[in-house]
Amino acid sequence: MTKTGNLLRTGAAMGLALAAMSVADTAAAQECSVKVGAVLPTSVDWGRPIAETAQWVVDQVNEAGGVNDCQVEMVLRDTQVDPKVGVDAAKALVDLDGVPVLLGAVSSGVSMPILTSVTVPAGVMQMSCCSSSTAFTALAEEGKTDGLWFRTFATTGVQAAVGAKVAQDQGWKKVAVFYKNDDWGQDIGKLVAADLEALGIEVTASVAINDAQPSYRAEAASALSGQPDAIYLALYPNEGTATVREWISLGGTQNMILANSLKSEEFRENVGMDYLSNAWGTDTASPRADSATAFVDAYQARFDGPPNGPGLANSYDATMIALLAMEAAGKDATGAEIAAAVPRVTDPAGTPVTADSAGFTQAREVFAEGGSVMYQGATGNVRFDANGDVSAPAVVWKFGEAGIDEVEYLSLDDVDAFMSALQK
Amino acid sequence: MIQHLVDGVLVGAIYALGAIGLTMVMHMLRFANFSHAELLSVGAYAALVFEKLFSALAPPLAAKIGPLSMSLALALAVLVSMAITAATAVLIDKLVFKRIRERGEELSMVFASFGVALIVRNVIGLVFGLGTTLYSREIPFAMVLSLDPLILVRPDQIFTLSAALLLMVILHLVLSRTTFGYSLRAVAENPALAQIAGVNLRRIVIAVWVIGGGLAAAAGVFYGLTNQITPMIGRDLLMPVFAATIVGGIGSIYGAAAGGFLVGLAANLALVILPSGYSPSVPFLIILLVLSFRPSGIFASERA
Amino acid sequence: MIGLLSYLVFFATVATILAIAVLGLNLQWGNTGLFNGGVAAFFGAGAYGTLILGGTPQAGHLGGFAMPYPLALLGGMAVAAALAWGVGRLTLKLRHDYLAIATFGVAVAFENVMRNAEWLSGGAKGLRGFERPLQEGIGSGLAYNALYLAFVASLLLLTYLFLERLVSSPFGRLLRAIREDEEAARSLGKNPAKVRLTAFVTGSVIMGMAGGLYATFYAFVSPQDVLPILTFQIWAMLIVGGAGNNRGAILGAFLMWGAWTASGWALSRHAPVEAQIYAGSIQYVLIGSVIVGMLLWRPQGLFPERLVVSQSGGATRPAPAK
Repeated sequence: MTKTGNLLRTGAAMGLALAAMSVADTAAAQECSVKVGAVLPTSVDWGRPIAETAQWVVDQVNEAGGVNDCQVEMVLRDTQVDPKVGVDAAKALVDLDGVPVLLGAVSSGVSMPILTSVTVPAGVMQMSCCSSSTAFTALAEEGKTDGLWFRTFATTGVQAAVGAKVAQDQGWKKVAVFYKNDDWGQDIGKLVAADLEALGIEVTASVAINDAQPSYRAEAASALSGQPDAIYLALYPNEGTATVREWISLGGTQNMILANSLKSEEFRENVGMDYLSNAWGTDTASPRADSATAFVDAYQARFDGPPNGPGLANSYDATMIALLAMEAAGKDATGAEIAAAVPRVTDPAGTPVTADSAGFTQAREVFAEGGSVMYQGATGNVRFDANGDVSAPAVVWKFGEAGIDEVEYLSLDDVDAFMSALQK
Repeated sequence: MIQHLVDGVLVGAIYALGAIGLTMVMHMLRFANFSHAELLSVGAYAALVFEKLFSALAPPLAAKIGPLSMSLALALAVLVSMAITAATAVLIDKLVFKRIRERGEELSMVFASFGVALIVRNVIGLVFGLGTTLYSREIPFAMVLSLDPLILVRPDQIFTLSAALLLMVILHLVLSRTTFGYSLRAVAENPALAQIAGVNLRRIVIAVWVIGGGLAAAAGVFYGLTNQITPMIGRDLLMPVFAATIVGGIGSIYGAAAGGFLVGLAANLALVILPSGYSPSVPFLIILLVLSFRPSGIFASERA
Repeated sequence: MIGLLSYLVFFATVATILAIAVLGLNLQWGNTGLFNGGVAAFFGAGAYGTLILGGTPQAGHLGGFAMPYPLALLGGMAVAAALAWGVGRLTLKLRHDYLAIATFGVAVAFENVMRNAEWLSGGAKGLRGFERPLQEGIGSGLAYNALYLAFVASLLLLTYLFLERLVSSPFGRLLRAIREDEEAARSLGKNPAKVRLTAFVTGSVIMGMAGGLYATFYAFVSPQDVLPILTFQIWAMLIVGGAGNNRGAILGAFLMWGAWTASGWALSRHAPVEAQIYAGSIQYVLIGSVIVGMLLWRPQGLFPERLVVSQSGGATRPAPAK
C-alpha cells in the first residue's frame, strides 16, 4: 500500500506544481488580455505552418493594439490528429482558459466531435481553417450548430468545378481521377467526376489513394489502362509525390490537374519541374484587390518563403475574422455574440479593410461608430452563408521556376455561372 | 492484368526480404515482432546518410550506375547500412527483448515490440523530419517490355528483384552448406537438444538478429529506391511483411520468400477486383484465408 | 471553478470509458493470456453499431433506426460480439503470435472498411446524427455531462463487479489454469479452445460497450477514432496499471489518460514554440519508453495481480512456471 500512497502523493504534488505554474502564467501576463483557443495538429508536418500562420495574425493584431484594447493570447494545443486528444484539448481550453472562440481543428474527424460535444454545448464560437466535410453543412442545416460554426475553407464544389473547367479548356477528353481516401478526397473525387461527365469528358478511372500504403504502383498502373489524356489529383504532397512519380515512370500522361493541396514546394521538388510544365492547379483565390498580393508579400517577409502549403491562407483568414468579430462584439462578449458579429466583418456593403494590422485598426474605428466592414482576406472577400460555409473566387495556377504563377482568375460570378451551367 | 502480375513479383521481392528475417526471429524467439518492419526504416535512413557521406567524400561515386537511379555511393552505403541495421537489431535485443525473454515472459515481448516500434519510428521522425525523402529525385522511366499487352518495368525494379534473389541464394547456401547453418536449423528444431549437442544458443540468437537486420536493411533501401523514404516505412510495411510470414508458415525461410512474392502478387491483383480504397485490407484478407485453410502456412515446415 | 469542475467531469467521463475498455482487455490478456492486437476494431464495432442503431436517419447510408438508447448500446455490444466470435473461431486455436497479428489485421481492415463503405458507415466523413437521450430536459451543459459521468461510472462499477465475480468463480480459475498450463487443463477434461473463445468474446463485448459509450458521448464517430493508436493506448493503460488486476486496470486508464492529456497541456504552455512541432514525436517516444520500461523493470505493473483465494482451505494459485 505504501507504493500506492507514494504514487498518489507524487500525483498530487505534480498537480499542485502545474496549478502553481498556471497561476504564475496568468500573473505574468498583461493586466488586460483576452484569450483565444486553437486546436491544431502541430505535430504533423503540414499542420505546423497552419498554427504559425494563426499565431502571426495574433501578433499583427497585438501590434495594432489588440482586441478591445486588450492583448490577445492564443493558447495553442496539439490534436495529434487523434479525436480524443483534440476534444480533450478543446474542452480544457473552453473550461479552464475560458476562451470564447476556438480556432480549429484541421481534420473534420476532429472538428466534428469538438463541435457537437464541446463548443455548441458551451456556446463557444468555432472557426475552422480547413475542415472540409459536407457533414458540417448538413449539421448546420439541421440547426444543430446554433450559428456558432464557421469555416474559411471554401466548399470543395468550387475547386472541383474549376478543375473540370481546366480539362475542358485544354481540350482533354479522357481524365483519370486520383483522390485521397479521406473525407475531403472522397467528396472532391465524386464532385469532379460528376462535373467532368457533365462537360462530356470521360472519366476513365476513379482511384482512391490510401494513406500509409507501401506502394502506389498498382493504383497508378490500374489507371493507365484507360489511356487518359490527363489526370486529376486531389492528393496531399506525400502520397501525391509517390503516385505521380509512379505514374510518370510508367509513361502516363504529364497533363495534370492539381487540387490546391498540391500547391507545395515538397511536391514540386520531388516530382521535378521537368514533368510539371503541363500541370494546372486550381485554388480558391483572393479578389483582384491590393490585399491579394499583400498577403503573399507579407507572408514571404515573415516566414522567408511563399505561403505554399495546404490551408495557410485559410488559417490566416479564420484567425483574422475571428479576432475582428471579437472586436466588433465588444468587451467580454460571449461566443454567441461574437458569432453574431461575424456578418459585420464580412458585410459586402461594408467599408473594405485589408488583411493586416492597418486593416484591423481601420476596422476598429468603423466598429466603434457602429458600422460594418468588408474584410478582404488572403482567400478573398470572404462571405459566409447561413451554414457557416464560404464561397470564394477561384484561380488557375501553374508551377513556375520561382514559385506559383497565376494563369487565370475567375470571379465569384464567373464561378457561380460556370457551376450553374454544369447543373443543366 | 499482366502488368499487375509483373508489379506484384517486383514488390514481392521487398516483402520477401523483410519476411525472411521476421520468420527466423519469430521461429527462434517465439514472438510476433511488431518492430521488425522498423528495421527497414533504419536501413533506408542509414543508407541515405552514408550515400550522402560517400558522395561528398568522393564525388565520382555519385554517378549513377547504368540505367539505374542507384549511384555507386548508394551501393556502398547499402553494405554499411546492412551492418548498422544488424547491429541495431542486436542492440535492441540486448536492451529489451533478451531481458524479457530471460524472465520467461514470452507473451510480454509482443507488446514490448509494439513499444520499441513506436520509439524507433518517432526517433527517426525527430532526427530526419516527417517529410518524404528520395535517394534520387530523377524519375527513371520504365522500359516497355511488350506493347500488347502493355508491360512496363523500371530498371530499378529489375535490379531490386535480382539483388533480392541473390541475397536469398546466398542465405540458402549459408544455411544448407555450413556448420553454422546446420546449428541454426538444429536450434530451430529443438533448442534443448541443440544445446546438449554443443550449439552456443546465444551466438545463434545474435546470428538470427544479424541476418534479419541485414536483410531488412536491404529491403528498406530497395523500397526507398523504388518508392520513397519516410519515417513511416515501418508502419506501412508491417502488415504485408506479417502476411508474407504467415502465408509462408512461421519458421520456413523458403516459405517466407515465397510468401513475400504471393502477398505482393495478391495485393496487386486485388486491385483488379476490389476498389482501390480497400487495398490496406488485402494483407489481412490473405492472413485470414491462410489461417482458415492452412493454419500453419502454405509452405509450413515440420513444426507449426 | 465551475470551469475546472466542468473540465474534470469531461476528463473523467473519457477516462472512465477508456477504463471499461481496459477492463475488457484485462479479461483477455491479464486473466486468459490472449494477445488482442485489435482493440480498436472491437471498440469501433460497438461505437459504429450503437450509432447506426440509435441514430436518426441520414441520407446516403445505413442506419438511423433511432432505437432507444439501451437497446442501441446492447446492439453495438452484439456487433462487437459477432466480430469477436468470428475472429476468435479462426485464430484462438493457433499460437499466440498468430492471434496478435490476426487481430492487429482485423483492426486495420475494420478501419479501412469503415472508411470506404459509405453505404454502411458514412465513409471517411464519419457517422453522426445521434440525439443524446434526455437532452431535451437537462440541456447539454455541465448537468448533462455530470449525469452522463454518473451513468458511465456505474457501468464501470458493474463491469468491475462482474469481472471480479467472474475471476473468482470456477470459470476464472479455469482461465488462469489455461493461461498457465494449457496441457494440464486439457488433461483435466477441460476444453481450452471453448473457454478461450468465451473469454475473448466477453472481453470484446466489454470493449464494444466502451465504444458505444464513447460514440454516444461525442454523438459522432469516424475512422479516425479507430486507428491502431487506440489499441496502443488501451494496452499501455493495462500494462502500466498491472495486467491481471482489475483495479490496476482502472487506475492505469486514469493515470495514462491523465498523463497523455497533461503532457499535451504542459507542452503547449512551457515548451518553446519551435519545439512544438516535435512535441508529438517526443510524446510517442516517451510513451513507448514507459511501456518498454515497465515491461523491463516492473512487468507486473503498478498494481500486481493479486492471488485469488476462491475456496476455503487455502488453495492458492501455484507460482507460474518459469
